[in-house]
Amino acid sequence: MASVAAPKARERIDRLQRIWEEPSGVVGWLTTVDHKRIGLMFFFTSLAFFAAGGVEALLIRTQLISPNGGLLSPNAFDEAMTMHGVTMIFLVVVPMSIGAFGNYLLPLMIGARDLAFPRMNALSFWIYLASGIFVYTGLAIGSAPNAGWFDYLPLGSKQFAPGPNIDFYTLGLIFNGLSTTATAVNLIVTTFKLRAPGMSLNRMPLFCYAMLATSFALVFALPPLNTALIFLELDRAVGFHFFDIAKGGDTLLWQHLFWIFGHPEVYIIILPAFGIATAIIPTFTRRKMVAFPLVALAEVLVAFIGFGVWVHHMFAVGLETITTIYFAAASLIIVIPSGIQLFAWITTILTGTPRFKTPLLWIVGFIVLFLLGGLSGVTFAAIPFDQQLTDTYYVVAHFHYVIFGAAVFPLLGGMYYWFPKVTGRMYYERVGQASFWLSFVGMNLTFFPMHIVGLLGMPRRQYTYPSGLGWTGYNLVETIGSYLLAAGLLLVVTNLAVSLFRGARAGNDPFGGDTLEWSTSSPPPSYNYAVIPRVTSPYAMWDREDREADERDLAGGGKRVLETGHETPASSVLDADWDEVLDMPSKSWAPLLLAAMLAATFAMLLTRHYVVAATCGALALLVLGGWHWKEPQEA
Amino acid sequence: MSEPARDIATLSWWMFAIAAVVFGGALFLLLLAWMGRGREGFPVIGKREKLESRAVVLFGIVIPVVVLVGVFAFANLVVLKDTDAPKASSTALTVEVTGHQWFWEVRYPGTRAVTANEIHIPARTRVNLVAKTDDVIHSIWIPRLNRKIDTIPGHPNRILLYADEPGRYRGQCAEFCGLQHAHMAMYVFADPPDRFRAWLRNMQRPEPAPSGPSERSGERTFMDGQCASCHTIRGTPARGDIGPDLTHLRSRTTLAGLTIPNRGGYLLRWIRNPQHFKPGNKMPALGLSDRQLQKLVTYLEGLR
Amino acid sequence: MSEPSHSTRATSGVAASYAARRRISFPLGWWGVMLLVATETAFFGTLIASYFYLRLKAHQWPPAGIDPPDMTAPLILTGVLVTSSVPMLLAVRAARDARTGRTWLLLLVAALIQAAYLGVQIHFFGSDLDKFDPGDNAYGSIYFTLLAAHHLHVLVGILLIVWLLARLVTGLTNYRVTAVWVVAIYWYFVSILAVAVVLTQISPSL
Repeated sequence: MASVAAPKARERIDRLQRIWEEPSGVVGWLTTVDHKRIGLMFFFTSLAFFAAGGVEALLIRTQLISPNGGLLSPNAFDEAMTMHGVTMIFLVVVPMSIGAFGNYLLPLMIGARDLAFPRMNALSFWIYLASGIFVYTGLAIGSAPNAGWFDYLPLGSKQFAPGPNIDFYTLGLIFNGLSTTATAVNLIVTTFKLRAPGMSLNRMPLFCYAMLATSFALVFALPPLNTALIFLELDRAVGFHFFDIAKGGDTLLWQHLFWIFGHPEVYIIILPAFGIATAIIPTFTRRKMVAFPLVALAEVLVAFIGFGVWVHHMFAVGLETITTIYFAAASLIIVIPSGIQLFAWITTILTGTPRFKTPLLWIVGFIVLFLLGGLSGVTFAAIPFDQQLTDTYYVVAHFHYVIFGAAVFPLLGGMYYWFPKVTGRMYYERVGQASFWLSFVGMNLTFFPMHIVGLLGMPRRQYTYPSGLGWTGYNLVETIGSYLLAAGLLLVVTNLAVSLFRGARAGNDPFGGDTLEWSTSSPPPSYNYAVIPRVTSPYAMWDREDREADERDLAGGGKRVLETGHETPASSVLDADWDEVLDMPSKSWAPLLLAAMLAATFAMLLTRHYVVAATCGALALLVLGGWHWKEPQEA
Repeated sequence: MSEPARDIATLSWWMFAIAAVVFGGALFLLLLAWMGRGREGFPVIGKREKLESRAVVLFGIVIPVVVLVGVFAFANLVVLKDTDAPKASSTALTVEVTGHQWFWEVRYPGTRAVTANEIHIPARTRVNLVAKTDDVIHSIWIPRLNRKIDTIPGHPNRILLYADEPGRYRGQCAEFCGLQHAHMAMYVFADPPDRFRAWLRNMQRPEPAPSGPSERSGERTFMDGQCASCHTIRGTPARGDIGPDLTHLRSRTTLAGLTIPNRGGYLLRWIRNPQHFKPGNKMPALGLSDRQLQKLVTYLEGLR
Repeated sequence: MSEPSHSTRATSGVAASYAARRRISFPLGWWGVMLLVATETAFFGTLIASYFYLRLKAHQWPPAGIDPPDMTAPLILTGVLVTSSVPMLLAVRAARDARTGRTWLLLLVAALIQAAYLGVQIHFFGSDLDKFDPGDNAYGSIYFTLLAAHHLHVLVGILLIVWLLARLVTGLTNYRVTAVWVVAIYWYFVSILAVAVVLTQISPSL
């Protein structure tokens, strides 16, 4: 974007600004359909839930600092550990990855002006917020879910969990799933149809491949979870017998359904992080990604193979040996695409000229931690080993290395990396590096000893443990580590918060980035791009000729400027041939209203007022009809 | 220890060694990256684009495939055979363990022996343990003897217990089962065969009638009060099945699933306030006077 | 490359028809409904898999006291529902030809067939409930849940056509031409689903 623009360019920019700008103030945000605003709302909401989940973790660790701790009663502990898992997985990592990062960055990286379905995007956010409040209402009234985040039956059945705790779990997660599915559909259609004309699939950045793979995995993984949750709620509320052995049901049906969702879910958690890593590495190593096509393929393969391995969560339940052997083999196969990516990243860093600034530090940390977590994961594919170490702190160590180390570290690196783009200000580099090291040390201190204490026989999900078994010292170290980790994370947040007000002004492209978002202003204008960018490679920012051609269009006009309305181009899927120009909807109350109606419906289902629930559902349908009464070009 | 546990341990050490090599190698490469950060291309050999992709294929596909096939073959085709469940009638002794919230009921099919939270087996004898549950999913895990096995409603599982040497082996519930999952441990006592037989004989004897006025008074408190509605004592009218069987209670080394030792004043303190030791467990405080408590404990301590 | 059309601004039948013809790739709405079909296929796939999982674990299916399901009526009904795809397909073509009135009538015919189907199905659902209850056993639970899920999808489909009928009163636009196509795709899916569900439902009698 030229600052010394010719008068025509200035006019164009002003016109686009008038067309696209949304009002400021509360009403503006409540009715927004701008992916950048929605991305920010997702970000701050998931950050708040991250704090909640973090407090839950610190409560657990403080309770376990010594044997026979008295901080938490058994039920309080069970609620804390369940809410910690539910919060971190459903209310933090996935929403932050696809709702914040995916939402904000995808249109920018593909040269579009918004997502394919802007109003549905807003709906995703309001449902997410409502579902989080829904689940936490359970906590507020002293009935938080307390049977673990995977809620095995019969423990989660009405017989053994008569209170509303588990109903908050089932209904809250079904509700939350609506948001995630909507976002996934939105990201897929956007990636397929709204890429800048000329950005054929092989010119799309790796970050977009990761988001695409994640979204497809979500589309197929969430329905089994929803089925399981619907079955459970029907059993609990209306007396059905899906899981009830005495009446022909089956206990293990729950486990199968849950893990058919649950395993792909962990790849859903980690794939966006891979995408962030593949955005940061080329920028900070100043070279293109090694084996780009292999890495793209590997990202897609991880999502796909992830559907075939779920029984490895059930190796100790007593299934037929031949079944377990098949699934162990499949679980080993999935190591390959991860290995491809790991090695490609390492080779890129090795053969580039890396600048070890804060964003890259988080990615190097991620590589180290993902490797450790992946290696401990591989050990679980050895069935006898799994049968000793499952349900112990060894597995707690494993999944925290892969979830915290491999999913959250890139999210934190991404926060630093895109902070200048989103805010127009630069963070404090040295504080950034300190926040990385503090978090890295804290993370390892917290979770590495868990491998050992698991090998020493400490099972998971215990509110206390006896002395004299050799577990005490490790637990003490882990708790200290957790406080260090919390301090590191607080430092990240403080750094960014202070930099928001006092950081140095950042230009469009402070790091020499490779993807399109660095070509527009910081923060981006409401219309993202005055000229829909030309793209001839996945490293669009490094193709100077294309960027200069865009500048000339801005001054001279041309069909890529699209300034007659609220417009963005739609292209064909593979080659991105320009197909049509779409008018996009603008602000609307309908998404907020629909989310509110749905929240009421779920609340009535929870309290078993079924007639009122059906009424609220009917009202929701009416809102949906009203929403679509305004066609996109009228909205 | 036992052969399955030892084999799993060997497998573990090999896997950790391989993991250490892989991890060390990757760290080394990152260190090289740091040291050579001013220079493009590989260290020493410089920029080689074809080599880059080939290296990814070699280290990302070929070598992992070889290592993983090796690990798979060893773990799942060799070691797994050791940890497989024994066939139903293939061992000299069968023990049936049923998980409850939050204790282990232990029976010896073919005998009248019933106990709780302790499994006695003869050393150096293959024992078939049948794993069941009365309520939710629990998991039987005695790490030094074998892998864990979940107890699934409607779906009894089997696992081999075999102790190389006499000794006491600690086990614990390993599947979250509610409020007192943390206090659901057990001991396996592997005894020399004649000691085991003596123990089993003792367990099958009916309890002798209580002698002495205190014991008789305590027995009355037990039978007339709430105790008999939850606990069984073989040879008496007490036939409850909510709490553990208390026949031969004195012979057990711990109470409440290894939560407290079965000696000194612990039994009295337990009965006076079970919720203090195991909050949320199903035994209420009985509201007995100190004298009644003392006599009840005298009675119970006579159940050898 | 010729000028790409501002298809969203095609607010007359003729313009919409022209925009539909000019397109070289599927519109956004097509992708949206196909992804909806994907999630619902996964959902019903899971339901049907659960049905057969529970059946495999059972000693007797249906359990003692419950008659094996009737085959004739469900199969005929499903056939009727599938035929409603014909007026739907013709409606899509009519919309693309800018023939608003014809589109409207064909949609009405389809909706009437589907409503009749749903009415009869609800009647049978009720009479099944008189014979056995979802709260009796796992068979009842999965039987009634599977059927209820399907009938709900049929109901939603009918509501979608009702909405289309309301919108088409004021003529065709680019949005509505695509909408007719999108709803038709939803209905093709529901028809195929009906076949899968009925085969599962009557499988003990096959």
